[in-house]
Amino acid sequence: MNYSRRGFLKAMGVMSGTALLAPGLLTARPAFAADEAPGVSEDITTWRISGSHFGAIRAKVVGDRVVDVRPFEYDKYPTEMIQGIVGLIYSSSRVRYPMVRLDWYRKRHLSDTTQRGDNRFVRVSWDEALDMFYEELERIQKDHGPWALHTGGVGWRSVGQMHSCGNHMVRGVGMHGRSVGTAGDYSTGAGQVILPYILGSTEVYSQGTSWEVILRESKLIVFWANDPIKNLQVGWNTETHEAYAYYEQLKEKVADKSIQVICLDPVRSKTQNYLAAEHQYVNPMTDVPLMLAIAHTLVKEDLYDKTFLDTYTLGFDRFLPYLEGKTEDQVEKTPEWAAAICGVPAERIRELARLMAKHRTQLIFGWAVQRQQHGEQPYWMGAVLAAMLGQIGLPGGGISYSHHYSSVGVSSSGAAMPGAYPLNVDAGRKPKHDNTDFKGYSSVVPIARVIDALLEPGKEIDFNGAKVKLPPYKMAIFSGCNQWHRQQQRNRMKEAWQKLETVVAIDYNWTATCRFADIVLPACTPFERNDIDAYGSYSNRGVIAMQKLIDPLYHSRSDFDIFRGLTRRFDRDAEYTRGMDEMQWVEKLYEDCRAENGLKDIAMPPFAEFWKKGYVLFPEGKSWVRHADFRDDAELNALGTPSGFIEIFSRKIERYGYADCKGHPVWMEKTERSHGGPGSDRHPLWLQSVHPDKRLHSQLCESEPLRSTYAIQGREPVFIGPQDAAARGIKHGDLVRVFNDRGQLLAGAHVSDNFPTGVVRIQEGAWYGPTGPEIGALDTYGDPNTVTLDIGSSSLAQATSANTCLVEIEKFIGVAPAVTAFGGPTEVDPDGRKVMAP
Amino acid sequence: MRKLFRFIADLFLRPSVRIGLGVLVTGGFIAGVLSWQGFNTAMEATNKEEFCISCHTMHDNLLPELQKTVHWNNRSGVRARCPDCHVPHNFTDKVARKMQASREVWGHLVGTIGTREKFKEHRLVLAQREWARFSANGSKECRACHDYKDMDFDKMRPSSQVAMRSAAARDQSCVDCHKGVAHQLPEMKGARNPAFDTLVSNASGQSVSAGNEYYLVVPQDLFADEALTQRIGSVEVATQVKVLETKGDAQRIELALWRKNKGYGRVWYSNFGLNITSAILDKEMARDAGLVNVLASQEDPMTGLEWQQVKASAWMRKGSLIDSVEPIWTIARASYNTSCSVCHRQPDEAHFDTNTWPGLFAGMVGFTSIDQDTARVVLKYLQSHSSDFSTSQHGAGSPEGALQTARP
Repeated sequence: MNYSRRGFLKAMGVMSGTALLAPGLLTARPAFAADEAPGVSEDITTWRISGSHFGAIRAKVVGDRVVDVRPFEYDKYPTEMIQGIVGLIYSSSRVRYPMVRLDWYRKRHLSDTTQRGDNRFVRVSWDEALDMFYEELERIQKDHGPWALHTGGVGWRSVGQMHSCGNHMVRGVGMHGRSVGTAGDYSTGAGQVILPYILGSTEVYSQGTSWEVILRESKLIVFWANDPIKNLQVGWNTETHEAYAYYEQLKEKVADKSIQVICLDPVRSKTQNYLAAEHQYVNPMTDVPLMLAIAHTLVKEDLYDKTFLDTYTLGFDRFLPYLEGKTEDQVEKTPEWAAAICGVPAERIRELARLMAKHRTQLIFGWAVQRQQHGEQPYWMGAVLAAMLGQIGLPGGGISYSHHYSSVGVSSSGAAMPGAYPLNVDAGRKPKHDNTDFKGYSSVVPIARVIDALLEPGKEIDFNGAKVKLPPYKMAIFSGCNQWHRQQQRNRMKEAWQKLETVVAIDYNWTATCRFADIVLPACTPFERNDIDAYGSYSNRGVIAMQKLIDPLYHSRSDFDIFRGLTRRFDRDAEYTRGMDEMQWVEKLYEDCRAENGLKDIAMPPFAEFWKKGYVLFPEGKSWVRHADFRDDAELNALGTPSGFIEIFSRKIERYGYADCKGHPVWMEKTERSHGGPGSDRHPLWLQSVHPDKRLHSQLCESEPLRSTYAIQGREPVFIGPQDAAARGIKHGDLVRVFNDRGQLLAGAHVSDNFPTGVVRIQEGAWYGPTGPEIGALDTYGDPNTVTLDIGSSSLAQATSANTCLVEIEKFIGVAPAVTAFGGPTEVDPDGRKVMAP
Repeated sequence: MRKLFRFIADLFLRPSVRIGLGVLVTGGFIAGVLSWQGFNTAMEATNKEEFCISCHTMHDNLLPELQKTVHWNNRSGVRARCPDCHVPHNFTDKVARKMQASREVWGHLVGTIGTREKFKEHRLVLAQREWARFSANGSKECRACHDYKDMDFDKMRPSSQVAMRSAAARDQSCVDCHKGVAHQLPEMKGARNPAFDTLVSNASGQSVSAGNEYYLVVPQDLFADEALTQRIGSVEVATQVKVLETKGDAQRIELALWRKNKGYGRVWYSNFGLNITSAILDKEMARDAGLVNVLASQEDPMTGLEWQQVKASAWMRKGSLIDSVEPIWTIARASYNTSCSVCHRQPDEAHFDTNTWPGLFAGMVGFTSIDQDTARVVLKYLQSHSSDFSTSQHGAGSPEGALQTARP
């Protein structure tokens, strides 16, 4: 407690220090002030240009300081997230110097690991830090081997193809030796594993039917657990926000009743509110019973497309008996049966089935329903439903799992996008330690099971038809990746982390991953380096120059420089860089892209001209219908399933013999479920941890100006319905404690009519700030993964089950501990004495 | 007419009665010297850059392109002129090349390449001819200046070292890799991978004998007749076929493959139960018992579908077969390793089974710049090196089998 209080004081000192140094910056004018502040009309096209997940930006730089950020002039639907960029660069949480955890500094890999998380760090020079990093890699490869090193799968690295941090880590570390990698991701872990068996493609990251086609042809659109208006603010590459133009049109069509839109969700989403669409409530985690009952109605009322099932699918005959209650569970999946579970009245279920069958119906699923226990099932059953409706491959019909992502549905320009800094060791080259012996352990672990590997070393688990032997790795490296945000169940993580000998974190802001690391290296932000990025992940709208806005702050360096420094320690730096510097690489990536587009007769200016102008844009492509080619000729354009057809029943999955993922979609009760399900007597509230509205996962949480627009009493908001709040004596703005047997956190109550009884929300990505390193410590800011459940979705995908989570909430009484999540480490000298800020 | 013949015959065959033999011999010698001189002067004149760019096709198209490259303008002031690269340096080859060049002159005169557009359209053909010449002589003209024996590999970038050492070891032709160093590359509609051009030129030199098995380097149409007029389908790249006979420009081949007995059964696969597309027949042909010989039937336990072992023979244009599939896989492997590591670590080939690859590949290929033709080869490569064919420990759907994606 003492340490953390000291940490807090220190953090406050840092914050006020920063505020004093740069009084204008943290209170910088909001990005959209331009429209509201007449008189000062500046030509922003003369400002420098850069890219981000939140959109392309123009930045005003005065005296090596970013003083204003505005949306790129082409962006017609910019997000307020870019208001957070200045605060991100000048955050009190910046990693300023290479830092080493106190006890690790003293005893290296033999340190007391229970101190991890106490946030006491010693400042070192870059040379010392990189020497330690290198010596640890040597020790691990020599004493143990590749099974003992884990390189964390990088998720939403900052945009920029040259500086893509995962590529630098994998290449740099890969030149030294091999390591345990990860499979899958936290966003679509269940979906991307199940759908190739059913629809023959991962689907979750696939281009979807073009919006102009949907707006023209669809009569009914069902957004199933999907909130695109919220989620389209960010994109995998620099986001164009082009899809919003179509949602604007859809809003008009909802108003004039030419398209019926149903948002099927326990919560009234941002999308439903924006479109003024119908809301269809469903109990959390009970989408499968609802879908089964819709399917049951389609059969009973003979509304399903038998010709489509015969021509394009396999295995309906083996699914039908389950629907009719003729197999093991002997329960007919009638609307009455489902109503009792999912909370949708039986007659309404029949009505939904008739509506879907009558009209050209486009089902559009979000990712939330597969981030739960048995998350494979709702996706599979959705595909079965779409197959029964027989509209897959028709314009404006069928099913999508991606329209909420990166402007999917905006047709592609067809232009090639720039490649990236090479991730692999060059062809023909070997790592320094050319050892492939993983001692019988798996070299790849399903990403959400990396904690299991530490707590249950050597355990054999099922995964996608195979066995994985969990490697008890001893050293882990995370670069541009906040493991302490995305993984579930913090206290379990703390226990596991104590088994690690050495953890290296590379980042620009002091995330909880840095706090729980041993060697922390300061990377610069994407705004402190030169790069290029694709503009529009699916529309391939153009190429954006990411012109360096300011020099790297403090002692931060680009990932390129960091790993060049590391590889120099084993004399492979020339190979690492291929003898090229930053701008030569940027130019090469651009010119390679230009050459490829030249072959397609798509003109791009030479690099110098491009760099000066800052962007090149390509025209709209042709509209497109997903699976139309399959429908047109199922033999020639076979799906990627084992049979080439839609597999309603998968013999392949059936042969795996899993109890929690069988040969066809099945309703299975959850470990814990609200609204009368298991565990709801003790912890009655279902906690959903959706993607945030004003952040990208945990990115921008540290941006104070932006955080201040949504935080309540300095804490992350927990959204709660008026009835649940009243029943607990909670008022809007109150500080509350959210808890279950797995952990506890403080949050600010945000009472909203959008939330029904029994459903609460904390957006994922809220920074973890425990009161101390001890297991069970209260989280002071409100990271929902403090209380979520860390189990695999099933033996098939082993994906995260973040949305299977029950909690109770109470009003917090007494003196609340200060927020410890932000403000960086407590700097100490090697004797542990606190170093005063200069 | 007869008189004319007689006159000519007499002129050459009847001894002269008026002029002395010495005069004749001397005159002949002088004439010879003069014409040799003329020939040489002509050779020399046509070997000058001025001559090459005197025709507007060269002047308007190739010169401005060359002027943008390092072969025209560089810090050391050494310039490659047209003949340095395009005319052989030894006499016999030079004369041979001059004879061939008459074709280009002809093209110039009749206007085949008369406009920029026509030239661009025709450029692929011209380039392929020149590439084939370089391929055949090991890029001899390049190596007049850049020879392996004079290269200091240690002074190269590390990645260049890897490539150049192995090229030197195989005495590889420069233009195999360095295409388009002095002129723009031909536009290949559908952006066909230029790497395949080398294979195509190799295939055109492949000797093929009946009864042996070969692999397609590019997809080919299949025909019912040796005149190649009745199209019945197509055969995919890297498909193994047996050559039955060769007649003129046509080759009769035998396909021994598998198909699903659902629909028309027009897509044929290489192995039982494995969706590796090898040939595609037209709908009406796929059920033609005169063409398709069904040898056996078997149920695939993984899908419940009946698979048939089928055999058929068909004609195709000759010149696209090679005797080893490895060069095709080499191109596919390079493309896979580069294109699929832009966003994430590319999974090992053997980490998925054959029928899982198409689903994953389809989900991700849209993020790459791989052209459609290359994508088909890459997918086929991945399927053919999947866990079904690998002797490694990884089974179907092994942990490495999931996408190691860097997506969210």
